[in-house]
Amino acid sequence: MPSLSYREKTLYASLVAEILVYGPYFFLHQKNSVNKVAGMIIAIIVLQVVLQLIIAAFTRNRTTDERDRLIELRGYRAGYLMVASLMVIGLAMLWFHTTMGQLHLDNPKIGLHFLSVFFGMLVIADITKTATQIVSYRRTL
Amino acid sequence: MPAIRNQIRELRAAREMTQQELADRVGVTRQTVIAMELDKYSPSLETAFKVAIELGVPIEQCFQYDPKGRR
Repeated sequence: MPSLSYREKTLYASLVAEILVYGPYFFLHQKNSVNKVAGMIIAIIVLQVVLQLIIAAFTRNRTTDERDRLIELRGYRAGYLMVASLMVIGLAMLWFHTTMGQLHLDNPKIGLHFLSVFFGMLVIADITKTATQIVSYRRTL
Repeated sequence: MPAIRNQIRELRAAREMTQQELADRVGVTRQTVIAMELDKYSPSLETAFKVAIELGVPIEQCFQYDPKGRR
């Protein structure tokens, strides 16, 4: 197995950061709040910066090339397709629950619920993007 | 068989050039040179020309296209 390029190392770091920060949010508790979402965004930014700085400090050759850019584009395409698909599914579920009378828009926590669902979609799309890029480095382009 | 094959490894070995040296001269990463040598990546036309120039051969001696090969 060939050694990892600078870009690959940063991708693995991003995936670790995403799993470490987003994992507990979605699987360890259900009492989400605006403060927790904001805290998570700050946490992922700080963790990403720290990890990228460590990788940059220990990597001599930090050049990127056309293959890196091609793989990056593939990742963004996969992430976009994921978020678009989740949006369609989310809208279909919203329509279903509304027509069935199961959605109570007068609930004071409905905004937080929508925020959580929307944020979850973005997180899944982000992880899809990173994972696609990691896989693309190992596949034939 | 891949649609685009190349003789980078053989030509590079004949010139006693390392993957890193070729990568630096062409302006790509060593991992990209490895991917090209393993036929896992078909470079852009510009990079293909640069590789051929650095190896001192015409591009058709370095890269070959097989229309029946997989893309």
